[in-house]
Amino acid sequence: MFWSKIWFFVVALAAAVAVTVALLLPRPAERALVRGEANRLQTACGVIHILLADDARNRVELAGAFARSPEIMAALEAASATEALDEGRMKQVRGVGESVMQAIQGSRKPDFAMLIDRRGRVVARVRIDEAEFGDVAAGRPLIDDALAGYLRDDLWAQNGTMYFVSAAPVVKQGGYVGAVVLGHQVTNELAGRLVKSLAVDMGFQLGADGVAGSKTIAFDHAAMQAQLAKLGPEIATDCEAVKPLEVRAGADDYTAIVARLPGEAGVKHAYYSVIIKRPEGLGLLATLKAIKQNDLAFGNFPWLVVGGGFVVALALGVGLMFIEADRPVRRLTGDAVRLAKGEIDRLGETHAGKLGSVARSVNIHIDKIGREAKSAKQDLDQLLGPAPEGGLGTIDLLATSLPAPRSFSAPIAPTALGSLGSMTALGSLPAPGALGSMSSGPAMPPPSEFRFQDPGPPPAPGPGRKPAAPSRGNTPPPFRAAAASGPGSGASMVPPPPPVVSPPPMRISTPQTAPLPPANPFASQPPMNLDDDILGRGSEPPPMRVESSAAHGDAYFRQVFDQFVSTKRRCNEPTGGLAYERFAEKLVKNREDLMIKTGCREVRFTVYVKDGKAALKATPVKDEA
Amino acid sequence: MRAGCSVGLLGIAGLVGGVVAALGRPAGAGTVAGRLELPPAPERGAVVARGFLDRVENPLIEIKKPNLAPYYVVALEGDARPGGAPPEITWDLVGESFARPVIAVPVGAEVVIRNQTKVPRTLAAAEDKKLLIGPLNPKGTKSFRATEPAIYTIGDGEAPHLRGKLVVVATPHVATLDDAGRFELPNVPDGSYKLRVFYFDAAAEARGGTSDWVFTADVTVATRGKASRVEVNGKLPPIARTAAAGKQERK
Repeated sequence: MFWSKIWFFVVALAAAVAVTVALLLPRPAERALVRGEANRLQTACGVIHILLADDARNRVELAGAFARSPEIMAALEAASATEALDEGRMKQVRGVGESVMQAIQGSRKPDFAMLIDRRGRVVARVRIDEAEFGDVAAGRPLIDDALAGYLRDDLWAQNGTMYFVSAAPVVKQGGYVGAVVLGHQVTNELAGRLVKSLAVDMGFQLGADGVAGSKTIAFDHAAMQAQLAKLGPEIATDCEAVKPLEVRAGADDYTAIVARLPGEAGVKHAYYSVIIKRPEGLGLLATLKAIKQNDLAFGNFPWLVVGGGFVVALALGVGLMFIEADRPVRRLTGDAVRLAKGEIDRLGETHAGKLGSVARSVNIHIDKIGREAKSAKQDLDQLLGPAPEGGLGTIDLLATSLPAPRSFSAPIAPTALGSLGSMTALGSLPAPGALGSMSSGPAMPPPSEFRFQDPGPPPAPGPGRKPAAPSRGNTPPPFRAAAASGPGSGASMVPPPPPVVSPPPMRISTPQTAPLPPANPFASQPPMNLDDDILGRGSEPPPMRVESSAAHGDAYFRQVFDQFVSTKRRCNEPTGGLAYERFAEKLVKNREDLMIKTGCREVRFTVYVKDGKAALKATPVKDEA
Repeated sequence: MRAGCSVGLLGIAGLVGGVVAALGRPAGAGTVAGRLELPPAPERGAVVARGFLDRVENPLIEIKKPNLAPYYVVALEGDARPGGAPPEITWDLVGESFARPVIAVPVGAEVVIRNQTKVPRTLAAAEDKKLLIGPLNPKGTKSFRATEPAIYTIGDGEAPHLRGKLVVVATPHVATLDDAGRFELPNVPDGSYKLRVFYFDAAAEARGGTSDWVFTADVTVATRGKASRVEVNGKLPPIARTAAAGKQERK
């Protein structure tokens, strides 16, 4: 399993590395995205500034054209010559201005106009505050410059509205007669037009108030204003100097960049912001969500490499598992089966690793059982004494603790008992299936003389107990019907008497609740095989019960005696010297001695054939279910 | 910013007083008048509140020079303390500017700023925040009394271009210049005086500089019981030289 473990470690390490890479990979992409966003914002900011400057140039040209209108020149010249402006003059000049404004073509028509005489007085206003006139507009830098002969632009903020304004002097006959001011309101439409090709949004703000924007978004402007407060005096470089900041509007996150607006409005903290919605594809999960079907297309994803790597990894893992786990286990299993069949006495100890350890442990236990069996036999010989010629023959004792015998609910018919085949105990392994037809609970039946003489069919898979194969050749099942008993199956087993305080005789009786079955209750049972021995039977007949009574004990010994005699006859042994009384007496004595020595509650006698001779084995049963 | 022009300069152009005529004025009081030659108007300063573009000169005629006269005030300061009730001086706010960018007022005079527009203003003195408190309503007035000689810059924080200079002097004899540089101070009692000229240099202040007295001349009024007129002529220093105060004493 060494290489399997190494492989598992390598695979786990690769998985950890893969997860780490998967978690880390979005980070550089995220940084690149942020840098891209910043560049995009700065570019858009700069472009907007250029567009606004270009718009200012157009507006200044428009003001110049407006100021060159002869009607305007004449009206302002006349107004400048008067000491006091009256309403009549105001309306006359306003009408002139209105007519000139209506003549302006193009999409950038001004929203208002101011006509100013050379003294700086507002002679008339067109379209905004039209009733106001006479106030001195001189003093404002834009108007002062226009009255002095300059064309220029500015930004005004009035009543929460921002205007791009432009002014031009009105010159007539070599002298200044006034100035005109045209104003264009900053509107959402203007903002939308500015960012139309930039794929961003923008807004014009005046302090903490939004003036206009390409998209209606309510921001907290504090962060933007704080950013503006850090800037130096040169506003033309704001787009490059300012850093993008994250702003939140409702449930959406945006990245924004801000730049100050020039002119009078700039003094009032006017600025514009360029914003883009922050992409959601940041982080591993968001990146996964952003994957498109095309990303997994064969041409865009190295399926061959990934699939090949997977197959190689899988093959390596399976191969290592087969080499280091499956094959050794299979070998051990085969050895165990051969051991169970008696083909080998011990498990091979060539298995490597823990399986070898298992094999050695099993072998140690096999050796221990062998030693204990030998010791028990010697003890029984000491108890029974040497078997006389023509006497009882060999009496073996399987001196191992056995599971508690099951109670028998049906007596064993003498004919059936007499026809039980020869069985040899397999070490200390109990044979739960040997008396499968009689067992009904966790208590084990008497040890079956089970011998794996022939291979037989392999154990059937599945949890159910499969009926045993019908025949095992020379090895008869432990409880084969008398008719099925063959010549070589001289061994038979007699169920032990029930536990009693008093010594035999014992009696095998049929309980009242379980009537005695027909002559051979086991006739319908299939013979035992290895599967049954290990797994037990799927369906079992009602158990036999052995009741304690002297009569039954006597019957038991008679039964054993009859089987013993029958077996000796089949083995062509002389039976003339056998007498039941002496036999029973011997059994009672052996039983008592064995119970005293081993502390068991009962003793079971089994007749079997050993070395061509009838033999009797006494088995102590220590406990009872 | 400017202390005055040199005595020599004024000596060439100046005229030391003389009795010109008796015009029925109170005995022992004369008139101090004169003409101060204005310096050449400087080139227009850097653009203020520049928009997206630099300003462009019109191609038709030359750029008009600024008129400097409204930016000068004259004060005749003597040893005698001003007597009588302090006058009330009205200063009109006519739109985006004051009617005069700078005025001189005697100590103790009540200054009334009158808003002639329909635009409310929030005026304040940069040098003394307590001098003017509260808004100036449309068509309304706001008055205060200047108790010490000082120079105040009155402006509206919402309209940086709207600025006026208030010069408080310890004399009731104050005057302004007309476009030709002429001035007249009537009812000046006999005595020795200093004629001082203050120039409000808005362009310099926009650059972070200050405005100051730019001309000083000694004037002696001695009517000997007859009405008299003391003529004081002088030449104001060029704007570029306003840092150096000139002195001219005329009698």
